[in-house]
Amino acid sequence: MNQRKFMQTNPLRGNGFRLEPVPPSAEQPSADAQRGVPPAQPQNTFPSPMPASRPPGTGLLSNWKANAARSAALTANAELKSLTEQETLEHEVVGMPVTGPAHYPGNTTNGYHGRAPQSGTTPPSTMFAPLPTQGMQPQQAAPVGPYPQLQPLVPMPGTRPVPAQPEWYQYGPRPAMPAPMFTAQGFRPAVRPGAVPRKKKKRASMGIRIVLGVVVLLLLAGGSVGGYYYYTLSTPINTILNQQVQRLPGDEDPNQLRGSGGSVLTGGRINILLLGSDTDEKFKLINAEGTDTYLAQTDIVVSVDPATNDVTMFSIPRDFWVNVPGFGMHKLDEAYALGGVALSRLTIFQDFGIRINYYAWVGLDGFIKVIDTVGGVDIDVIHPITDDQYPDDVGNNTQDIYRYKRLYLAPGPQHLGGIEALEYVRSRHADLVGDFGRSARQQQVLKQLKNKLNSPGVVEKFQELANDLAGYVKTDMQLTDIFSLLRYARGIDTSKINQITLGPPYSSSGTTSKGESVVFPHCDLIVPEIAKVFASTADARCNITAATGNTASPVLASQTSPVSQTADSSVLQTASQMVNVSAMSLNGGSSSPIYPGSDLLGIHSLLDLLFLIVFESPAALQV
Amino acid sequence: MKTLLNWRWRSCLLLLLALSLQGCLGFGGNSNGDFNRTSTGGGQQLGINNQAVFQGKLYFTINRTLWVLDGTRTPHQLTRSGMAVRDPAVSPNRQWIAFVVRYTNYADLAYMPITGGKIRILRSGQGKYYYSGTFIHSSYTWQSQPAWSQDSTHLLFLSDFEKEDWYAYTPNAPLLDLQVFSIPLNDPTQVQDVAYAYFGDGGDRDPSYRPGHPDQIVYTHYAYDDATHTQQVIQIFLEDANAISRYPRGHYHPGEPGFDPGVAITPPQDQNIQPAFSPDGNWIAYVRRQGSDQMGLYVMPVPEGVTSDPNNPAVAQKALEPYKQSSLILTGEFISQPVWSPSGKQIAYLSYNNQTFDIWLVNVSLDTKTGVYHMTGSPVQLTDGGVDADSRPCWTT
Repeated sequence: MNQRKFMQTNPLRGNGFRLEPVPPSAEQPSADAQRGVPPAQPQNTFPSPMPASRPPGTGLLSNWKANAARSAALTANAELKSLTEQETLEHEVVGMPVTGPAHYPGNTTNGYHGRAPQSGTTPPSTMFAPLPTQGMQPQQAAPVGPYPQLQPLVPMPGTRPVPAQPEWYQYGPRPAMPAPMFTAQGFRPAVRPGAVPRKKKKRASMGIRIVLGVVVLLLLAGGSVGGYYYYTLSTPINTILNQQVQRLPGDEDPNQLRGSGGSVLTGGRINILLLGSDTDEKFKLINAEGTDTYLAQTDIVVSVDPATNDVTMFSIPRDFWVNVPGFGMHKLDEAYALGGVALSRLTIFQDFGIRINYYAWVGLDGFIKVIDTVGGVDIDVIHPITDDQYPDDVGNNTQDIYRYKRLYLAPGPQHLGGIEALEYVRSRHADLVGDFGRSARQQQVLKQLKNKLNSPGVVEKFQELANDLAGYVKTDMQLTDIFSLLRYARGIDTSKINQITLGPPYSSSGTTSKGESVVFPHCDLIVPEIAKVFASTADARCNITAATGNTASPVLASQTSPVSQTADSSVLQTASQMVNVSAMSLNGGSSSPIYPGSDLLGIHSLLDLLFLIVFESPAALQV
Repeated sequence: MKTLLNWRWRSCLLLLLALSLQGCLGFGGNSNGDFNRTSTGGGQQLGINNQAVFQGKLYFTINRTLWVLDGTRTPHQLTRSGMAVRDPAVSPNRQWIAFVVRYTNYADLAYMPITGGKIRILRSGQGKYYYSGTFIHSSYTWQSQPAWSQDSTHLLFLSDFEKEDWYAYTPNAPLLDLQVFSIPLNDPTQVQDVAYAYFGDGGDRDPSYRPGHPDQIVYTHYAYDDATHTQQVIQIFLEDANAISRYPRGHYHPGEPGFDPGVAITPPQDQNIQPAFSPDGNWIAYVRRQGSDQMGLYVMPVPEGVTSDPNNPAVAQKALEPYKQSSLILTGEFISQPVWSPSGKQIAYLSYNNQTFDIWLVNVSLDTKTGVYHMTGSPVQLTDGGVDADSRPCWTT
């Protein structure tokens, strides 16, 4: 039988960044003791004969904190609060007590049920000794916080079309016209000599004029709304796209050799590095240059060869013990914290020989915000979800970044907000079947989510969605590239997409000499895989041993400083891409069954990119 | 005449334009004109259908606050916001309301007088995270879904409070699955094991005593199949409430062979959940999963005489027979949480409409010829605006 396993914890240590020291929290007495209620369970501890550890996973969802630090704060719950006796609102008496025959199962042997029934028994007052008054702590975590509100649309005044002037009025005297002597109204009056005879204008009927007015009004309103959307949406989206990151010395830029001709899908195989980070505030670290940064719990290289339709998702466990250039041996997820995209990219190239053409990074909070923006998801929770070691990384106001949280989601249909939905799809301890169960849960949420994102009303939320993504999605690709890539990926049978995870047998869990729990790569198995998957786009190797241990090289360390965005795409440029994507989508690009209407403004493409990385599965595109 | 015609045209066109704009911009009120609305806080409103007819009182939660609705269709809020209340259960003697209060890592089993007043804690789930060697354990516990015995002296409830007892059997992995326990009000320390959970699929749900049969309980059992441990098997079980107490503790280990007092009354190939006894205890309304979001509300007779010898294969077979007499009452999206009216002539359930879960009422009657329940008339929406779908409602006189 499978058994639940518990993770060992190790502090994250690195030379290039500093973590806030976590002060040990004082243990608080149990609430039972406080109130005189007998303890719910024995507080004894059991020996641990089998030092098992949960196998480190591969990424954002699978192994968010596979090696959480053993923090003293874990031993106490800072949120321990007792339930206060709380006055409730008074209401009328419902009815009289039942006086019928009492039933009692008095056939027990242990005395638990051996007492005679007492109708209307009032619990002894000693049971309910006065409780310490303390604020109630709602079960829900703190809400994510305030979202930008959709700006109200400014109604555009309609413009009534001016009736066209007759041609003669503009260019000279009216030409002479033979006038009939009689009209339908009778004898035609004589024309005054020298007077310019008035032509009876062919005026459009009032109905037609109103129709024209309405059409013009709608066109103007539509144009204004469209312009408004392009302008307001392109600003946040501009912070997502074309976020170029300068390459570090030693990191060859494969795009210079590709000659792509302007399209991401031409010019041969490309490799895209997908990075995912928990972006909760407490996970914000400060690197050597004093810049805020995060760990990258997801490290996936997607390799696409449009010529052969070969697509591979190559997942590297976050705990891979590798040589981070300039910093020595570290876990792979620390490379991002130490030097951002540039160092992650260089690490993968130097250690495994894989050249990275593009990158995309997402933050977990973006997913929560998107779900909340669309009003949550309504699903049938397939079984009770229990997890005693869910990472408490959303709404955790303490400084303990390795704190855990307990989950209990009731089964059955219900509404889930962003945080609950994330818990539902992310928990790894909630079922015995591990990833299969988790994948089923993910599919449920994605299906609901995409139904909502496909509803016509979601257009009103485009700006909110764009703002949700801003700051939580970054890539050096253009919107048109993302649209093309995802459209291409959706057209491929998911079962044909290779998914390689460098877990066992490609690696094994272990402990470093300093006691850190890590994953050791098995190079003899990894190198042939790299050579097979990446072909000419990689110099397959497994150069994972650092010569200098964990000492940062001053030269390389200083070279990580220009890890900042160097290219600024203008808002107008972004708006132009949004127009292009809309046009591509409407011109047959919407072959996807996912968004059968169209990918207006490219919002759906950006959302799919978010889902792809958060769920670490191409199935996220197919739901 | 012509002018008049033009004006008619103009009026028509302007009317069309106005309607178009109204449609585009979403002007206009709620079309559900038969609903009286009450603010439930946070800008939300609860609508109560003026046309809905029912007797007794319905207890449910909205945004984790407890509400009651009586036959006059006037809702009352019973607990203040800020306390996450779920699963209200009114004692048969109508003196108490039991419920669960949830916190970040635990839940308390609580009750209060039905007239309102101070909340009393029967069992708290407070605890802490702690280390055992290199392993992290927690002594927090959940409590959930209280259900009263008919004499109002005991409560069934779900909890994982024995999880740490199982460390010895599942090395350093506690049994997190919630099991069914009973607790007497006059001595909350005397908690008794009532139904075990299988390891790994979340445990038991929806427990309740059988009316007229105080020694029997029903519950939903979430488990994995014995053969592969990969396929979910979700069945409704009937059980002698005291069977476990008659055997030495530890005789049965969850998920391992041994005496299991539960007897399945629904087959493993169907996923049936949320059983609810009729007031006379002879019928069970339950929900069957029919698709990813499609559910069917069914009623089946209760098998008799199957709890005394649950491990007898012949008895196990007999227990499944009444399932074949299940009658479909209705189907729909996310139909869930059925509860009988005290008269047994109505069933309240939750249904999903306009992206909210609301309470609906359906009249049911027993066909004496066929011996099965069927729906009479059409279901009536009782509430509008949404109630908590993961909180079991309660219907009392």
